[in-house]
Amino acid sequence: METPRSNSVFALAALEHIDALYSYAMTLTRDKSEAEDLVQETYLRAVRAANQPATAGNLKAWLFVVMRNAWLNIARHKQHGLRLFQFEGAEPVDGVANDASSNPHVVYLRKLERQQIHDAIDTLPDAYREIVVLRDLEGFSYHEIATVLNCPAGTVMSRLGRARGKLREVLSQRQKVHRLYG
Amino acid sequence: MMNCDDIRERLALYLDNELQEDDRAAFEAHTQSCESCASFVENELAFLNAIRGSGPVHTAPETLKTKVADIVNGPAEPARERFALKWILPIAAGLLVLLAPVVMWRVMRQSTHPANGGPSGFALMAAESHLRHMRGQLPLEMETTSPQAISAWFGNKVDFNVKLPSYQESSGQEKIYTLEGARLVGYQNDYAAYVSYRMGDRPISLVITSETVAKPSGGEEIASRGLRFHFNSIDGLKVITWSDRGLTYALVSDLDERGQQSCIVCHQGTKDQDFIEPLKPH
Repeated sequence: METPRSNSVFALAALEHIDALYSYAMTLTRDKSEAEDLVQETYLRAVRAANQPATAGNLKAWLFVVMRNAWLNIARHKQHGLRLFQFEGAEPVDGVANDASSNPHVVYLRKLERQQIHDAIDTLPDAYREIVVLRDLEGFSYHEIATVLNCPAGTVMSRLGRARGKLREVLSQRQKVHRLYG
Repeated sequence: MMNCDDIRERLALYLDNELQEDDRAAFEAHTQSCESCASFVENELAFLNAIRGSGPVHTAPETLKTKVADIVNGPAEPARERFALKWILPIAAGLLVLLAPVVMWRVMRQSTHPANGGPSGFALMAAESHLRHMRGQLPLEMETTSPQAISAWFGNKVDFNVKLPSYQESSGQEKIYTLEGARLVGYQNDYAAYVSYRMGDRPISLVITSETVAKPSGGEEIASRGLRFHFNSIDGLKVITWSDRGLTYALVSDLDERGQQSCIVCHQGTKDQDFIEPLKPH
């Protein structure tokens, strides 16, 4: 792993990942306030460890490891494990309209589709939701996910397969309901 | 050569770009010649693209970005650091010569006082937490003016009992200080309780942990009503630490003298004045 030895370089590089870290914090905590605390705690820990030799992977993966460890520590002390929350559909997300057609109806349908996918991800069990977020939304490799989750790469493969199967099932059921009552 | 079963088995690895180069070539060679597998791959790819194209789920609020920028950029200015490096040795040498008699006198004087030395790790952590809270880097996890609500909030979060007195609330006297809220702070691989008060516009922090985790030490030692208090001045803050009934406390403020007035957050009654009095410098 690259070691962020220069503070200014580290600061710039680390700040690039704040949206991804906030999104992951929301996945873990399911609460805006807790997610913000977790992001700050992550950066505080990262700054303190910035000049220490890191273990493996890139800066983004390392920050995710720091965040997950901080969260596990908090969850252990709060004795509530990884709790559930609802994705907040009304929250504006940058760039939603940028990659879509300029046709307002198409933009609306795509936004609706995104919302359905986020809602479906939200229904997944914690471990499935987390691995889908890490792989399909954050784009981490199997090796990086294994580092973040502290588990074998084989577990990543099998868990990801089950998580996607479950996600497909949820989306398929929702589409059937949509076709029947939509 | 791969067959159709191989394709289904390796589909996720292929779509996640986890196949080695030769396996990838074999995979693509098969799907180019097999319509059924090509359709299978296309469907799965469409599904994954829909998922991958749906992000990001959340974006960080601007207020959070500002706070994090403060954290990563740190308080030190490079110009000041360079100045410090250039002048610190000559200044330190000069101070050593000037202050040598004072230092000698302090050493001789301290030999009559049992507790001395630098501030304890717990006192340093309490001062740092106070500063971070003032800078907005340590937001409260729960905000309330109710001591009972805070005591209950810590109930299942720390391994010791936090019981805040409610003298001010129950006495009906004019309120001199305000309870703001609480949060957890990390210390020694465990959590300590952090309680925030305010007296006018001056913040007061009370940090509590188990006596098995931290014992007060260092600084000036002052005895009062059977307790031994340790006073330190850290970064301009007045830090008083002590242990009582299995818990260790640190009270941090920028109040006058030794900051003893901060004790009223727990000892506001008239009878408590003789408790606070010995903490004043004489």
